[in-house]
This record gives sequence, C-alpha cells and structure tokens, in this order.
Amino acid sequence: MYQALLTKKYLTRKVMPLLAMVAVMLSVATILITWSVMGGFLKNLVNSGRTLVGDVVIVWPNVGFAHYDELIVMLEADQDITAATPTIETFGLAQLPDDRIELISIKGVDAKSYSDVTGFADTMWWKPLDKPTVKDHAGDDIRLMPEYKAIFEQIHANGLSMTRPHPKTGVIEPAGVLGIEVTGLNQRTKWGGYYPLNTNRALPDGSVEIVESFMPRDGSIGLTILALDSSGRPIDPVTRTIPIANEFQSGLYEVDQGTIFVPLEILQKMLRLNEASKVELVKDNDDPFPTEFDPATGQFVPKMKEIVGIDPARVTTVLVRGADGIALDKLQDRVRMIYNDFADEYAGQVPTGFQMERQIKTWEDLNRTMISAVEKETLMVLFIFGIVSMTTVFLVLAIFWSMATEKTKDIGVLRALGASTMGIAWLWVRYGASIGLVGAAAGTTLGYLVVSNINQIHDWMGENLNIVIWDPRQYYFIEIPSDVDPVKAVIIFVIGVLTCVLGALIPALHSALLDPVKALRFE
Amino acid sequence: MESQTHTQPKKKQWKGDPNAILSARAIHKTYKLGRLAVPVLHGVNLDVQKGEWVTILGASGSGKSTFLHLLGGLDRPDRHVRSDQQRRPVSAPSVKFEGRELTKMVARQLDHYRANDVGFVFQFYHLLPELSVIQNVAVGAMIKHGRIGYHMNRKSIIDRATMLLDRFGLSHRLKHRPTELSGGERQRVAIARALINEPSLLLADEPTGNLDAKTGGSILDSIFELRQDTGLTLVMVTHDERIAERSDRVIRLHDGRIVED
Repeated sequence: MYQALLTKKYLTRKVMPLLAMVAVMLSVATILITWSVMGGFLKNLVNSGRTLVGDVVIVWPNVGFAHYDELIVMLEADQDITAATPTIETFGLAQLPDDRIELISIKGVDAKSYSDVTGFADTMWWKPLDKPTVKDHAGDDIRLMPEYKAIFEQIHANGLSMTRPHPKTGVIEPAGVLGIEVTGLNQRTKWGGYYPLNTNRALPDGSVEIVESFMPRDGSIGLTILALDSSGRPIDPVTRTIPIANEFQSGLYEVDQGTIFVPLEILQKMLRLNEASKVELVKDNDDPFPTEFDPATGQFVPKMKEIVGIDPARVTTVLVRGADGIALDKLQDRVRMIYNDFADEYAGQVPTGFQMERQIKTWEDLNRTMISAVEKETLMVLFIFGIVSMTTVFLVLAIFWSMATEKTKDIGVLRALGASTMGIAWLWVRYGASIGLVGAAAGTTLGYLVVSNINQIHDWMGENLNIVIWDPRQYYFIEIPSDVDPVKAVIIFVIGVLTCVLGALIPALHSALLDPVKALRFE
Repeated sequence: MESQTHTQPKKKQWKGDPNAILSARAIHKTYKLGRLAVPVLHGVNLDVQKGEWVTILGASGSGKSTFLHLLGGLDRPDRHVRSDQQRRPVSAPSVKFEGRELTKMVARQLDHYRANDVGFVFQFYHLLPELSVIQNVAVGAMIKHGRIGYHMNRKSIIDRATMLLDRFGLSHRLKHRPTELSGGERQRVAIARALINEPSLLLADEPTGNLDAKTGGSILDSIFELRQDTGLTLVMVTHDERIAERSDRVIRLHDGRIVED
C-alpha cells in the first residue's frame, strides 16, 4: 500500500522521473516510427510486387507449354479461381529513342485477361486525372490539364487494348506498354510525377536530331530477342519495332525501369511459340526419290517435307487470380491439382505434373528475395535502434540509482517501520513500471501521431525549414510509407515498460539490500 | 515455542529477569571502517520491565544508538568479537522481547516485530517529505496491514492517526507537508507515527536532541502523558541529563560498556 502512495508522490513531485519518462517515451516513439515506416515500405513494396503477378503462377520457362487455353478453361471452372491468363516472359535487347540499347524483360500478355488477373490496368501512367496526386499541391501534373484530356483518354484506351493508330496512316496496330523509367526520358518531378523530355540523337553525318520522347504519341522501341526451338536451343535473333501505346508504373523501380509488355501473339511469333504446322522429312522405303506437284511451276518437284500435324501455340506462364478470401497455400494446392488433371488429359503433349513445386509458385515465392531483403533491412534497422534504445535502460538505471541514493534515509525509515526487503524492492520496481507505463503510453501515442501525420510533418519541414528527407525525385514512393500495426505497437509498448522495469531492478535490489542502520545514518 | 526455549538446559545460564519485557545479554558490536575494526559495544546487558521508562545516557560515540538499533531489531549483535588482529567467539548474544529471541528471528520475523511491537523515534524526525502529516503517521499502518488490510481498516487507522495528531496538538496540520512544520511539530508527527500501530515498546533516539529546551520539554511532557495513559515501555537514548531526571531508571554507557545502572 505504501508503495502505491509513494509511487504516486514520487511520480508527481520529482523532475527526475519526468526525465526517465521522456527517455522512455522518445525511445518507444523512435522504434515505433522506424518500424512503422519500414513496415509501410515493405507493405508498399510487396503490394507493388504483387500488382503484375496475380496470386499463383504456373511457369515452364523457355519452351513453355501448349494447350494453355484448355488449362485456363479448367482453371476458371474452379470456384476458388476467379480468372487466369497466359503470358510469355523472356529477355531481349531494347533500342531506345536515343539509340541506346538496354537489356529488357519482355512480357507477352493478352491485355484484357491480363488486366482481369492483375492490376495491370491501374498501372497505366498516362491517363486523364480528375484531381492532383497527394504531393502535387500546385496542380502541375500535365494529366490534369483539360486541353489534354481527350488525348490522355485516347492514350489510356490504347494502353488498355495494347494498340495504337499508326501516326501517319491511322491504321490500328498492336503496340506495347513500356515501363515509365525504361527510356530515362521521363523526368521525375518533385511531387512524384513525370514530365516527358526531348532528347538528342546523333546522326551519321555528325548532325544532331532532337527527338520528342513522349512515347505514347509516336514513340517506338526496337526489340531484339533470341528465339528458341521446341527443344530449347537458340535459333536466329529476331528484331521487331514495337509502337508504344502507353507507359506503366507498377511501383517497383526494378520492374518499371526494365520491362515492356507486348501483345501475346507478337511475342509468340517472335519466339516461334505460335501455332505452326508440324512437318517431317519424307522417308519412303519403296521410292527413294518421291516427288509432288508444285502448282506454282506446274511441275513435279522432289518431295522433301510432309505436314504431319499442327504444333499448338505455347506460353511460358499462366497467371491465376484466386477468389476473394482464399488462402494462398490453398489456392496453390488447388492449381496443382488442376494442372495434374490437365497434364493427365494432355499426356505427352504438355509437361508432366510430377514435381510441380518449382513450377507452381505463389506471388510471395516470386518476390521472396525482395521481401526477405527488405525484412532483413527492417530487422537490421530495428536491431540498431534497439541497441540505441538500450541506452534508455542505463539512463533509467542512472536516474533510479540517483533517486534511490537520495531516498536512502527514507528507505531506512521504512525499514524501521517494518517494511520488508521485498517491499522496498517492489517500491522501486513498481515505480519503474509506472514510469515505464506512462512513458511507453506517451511514446506509443507520440509515435502513432507522428506516423499518422508523417507526410504532413515532412511537408511542413520542407516548407518552413527547407528540410526534405524524402524527395520523390530520389525515392520511388511519392509519400513516406507508413503502417502502424497494433501488434507492433503493443510489442513496443511492452518492451518500453520492461525496459524501465529492467533499469529500475538494480537500484531496487540495492535499496532492498541496504542495511537499515546504514540507511538511517546515511548523509 | 519460546517458553520451551527457556526450559532447555543450555538456556539455564540465562541470568536476566524472566519478567522483563525486553532483555539484552552479552551484546557486542564492532563496525568496520575500511580495514579498521571499531568496537562499539562490549558485552552490554539490560532488562526493561513492562511500562518502565529507561534512559540510556552516554556521550556521543558511546554506542547508545547502536544499542537502540539492536533492541529494535534493525541490526544484529556480533557472535564474534573482532579486533584488528583476531576474531574470537563470544558467549551467545541474546535480545528477547516478550520472551521471543530476536537474534534467532529471520528477516521476515524481524520486519513483523518492528511493524507490530516497536515504535522508533529519531533525533532528526525522518519524516517522508513527499507525504502529508497524516500520511506520514498512517504509513506505518500501511506497512503493517498491507494493501487489503489497510483498505479494510482504513477508517480506524485514519481515526487513530487523527486522534494521535490531535493529542499532540496537530489537528490543524493534517494536510501539511513536513517542510511546512516546525522542528517540534515534526517530532510530534514522528512520535505519532511511532505509535500508530499501538506498539508495546517505544525506542527513542535523542528525540529532543535537535530541539530547543522549551520545545524539547514539551515533547517530553507529551511522551510522559502518553506513557501514563497507555503503560507504554520506553527506552530513550540521550546525552541530556535533564531528560534522565524524568525517567524511571538511567543507564550510563561509556565506551560501549554500562558503567552505571
């Protein structure tokens, strides 16, 4: 009882406990802010990484697999699956408007079904906007301008359909959607948008041509890829110019800086994964020199090849989107079962369903490296801040030691009145816990308020103190990401309290074990 | 249990007064100051009868406060005599209160003894500065009863604290802090605190040593009246001969030995 009374009195009548509380509060707030920002960063990254992947993917790289349309019908017939789409993924070389050649990831997609499975449609950058983005306080985004609205509507529609009218003839032709950072010619603005720049292109005669780089208007990319035959051996390189219908921003710089989406049929043709006649060299034991009639010449010519069937079109990947609320591992198992049925039905024509662990992956598996890297970074930052925050333990210890020393005579009096050693120890532990509770509660509140308003605080600092830490020109996310997780807040709160109790423990034991006579004679 | 202890053959060597409420025998105490052993008490014996007022007189450093702490269970007597050169055993020391042997009590039992049977009054009052007057008096009851017990007996405890403070003329100072009181008032609060749990024994260590003669006299009057009313046993340590005149018996301590009883 006397502990409660003295704790209350010590808490309200001393400066030192206030200092300890402030130390705990700042420590708790720091860790909560750090964890929330890193957690928000990870969450944004994960969401961005998921945007263009779907939930589960079936992957047979290089030569791909046939009868994918039938597989998609089987998948979409399942109640746990909302949609599925075929894609091809490969790498190639991209010749950019200023003639630079860069390595690029090429994805062949069917625009409509790909949008059904992924967030592809939402990633289109060039589209009319009704209101400015969060950091565009002045409304400088060209997508807001009413005079360009019709143009952007057309460009947006082009991107969604992956087509573009030819700039001169007006004929609709298949087109690609390019990552917004690929050309390096879209200048990132301080409010996190883009402004297309012109660039110079050197000509053979020494002159320089100014190239307009707003790709969706009349820009195109030269793509060179290496086709493979059905056994996975490289054939001749294939080059094709792809008009650009729109540009996308997924939120992952690595993706946006090195990816182009092209219509599935185009990539199938370039990679020779499209439907083709299956031919064989003629072998006739009875007639060593077989001939056939050539309608072009009207003569019989040696018969060399014979069409023996149709080689169906192939893709390397099928992306699957699960029904709302289905667990990822359950969806993965379901897809495996369906693929096994599919492999049984098309035995000998598609890869077997045996050992599909490496072929059927979740979006988490695909982003595992990225996610675990950020998780480790978060852990490392928390570890460092944790060590820094450990100083709070010693700060509390120093403050409590000082207070316990100051109160030595009072301890002697309490012992003379019959207080036990445990009672005295509990007085300080309780006092530490109280300071921890108040400090941690204040720290959690402070951390929550800072995290909740971190972008407003950051804007204020930029405007009034000219301190801009998170510049969208350098960082890929426009805003400082943050995510206050209640579980994290509780963990940090508890650790904050324990830190204080830990700091109070040694002074508590010291006080408790004091010789009461020495305590009474303490000067 | 304690009475059985008396019947044991070993304990037949006990030569104290079996009717005494408080008995001390063969009390030795040596403190260490660094490597130096400083003997304070050299085999002190004392019997105090119930309701008696015993004054222990002695100069500063004579060991009287140390002796008082041993009687109050705040410290334990030595079982060996230490000098700078050697350490030799002494006859078993004994401090008995109402037949209970303090030297054999564990820490918890000594805490109980201090909380229930003894009241301490110190020269420098030792009030807790953060607490009000009434809280300073009630804190002893809080320690004795614990959280639940205190809440169950809260009214009677506060009533007793108020009564004691009223008796000492401090009823108008209940909510004041010690820093707002005079020295005499602080000492009265300290005496009220010592009496809150209705102890049988009051141990006072120079209770008037820090007060002027008039205030000190007033304090002694209060104690005297209290003793008359309650039959409280009182052991008071002082170097003031005038106090000794008011007590039933005077013990003179010199260099850790009783020189006059």
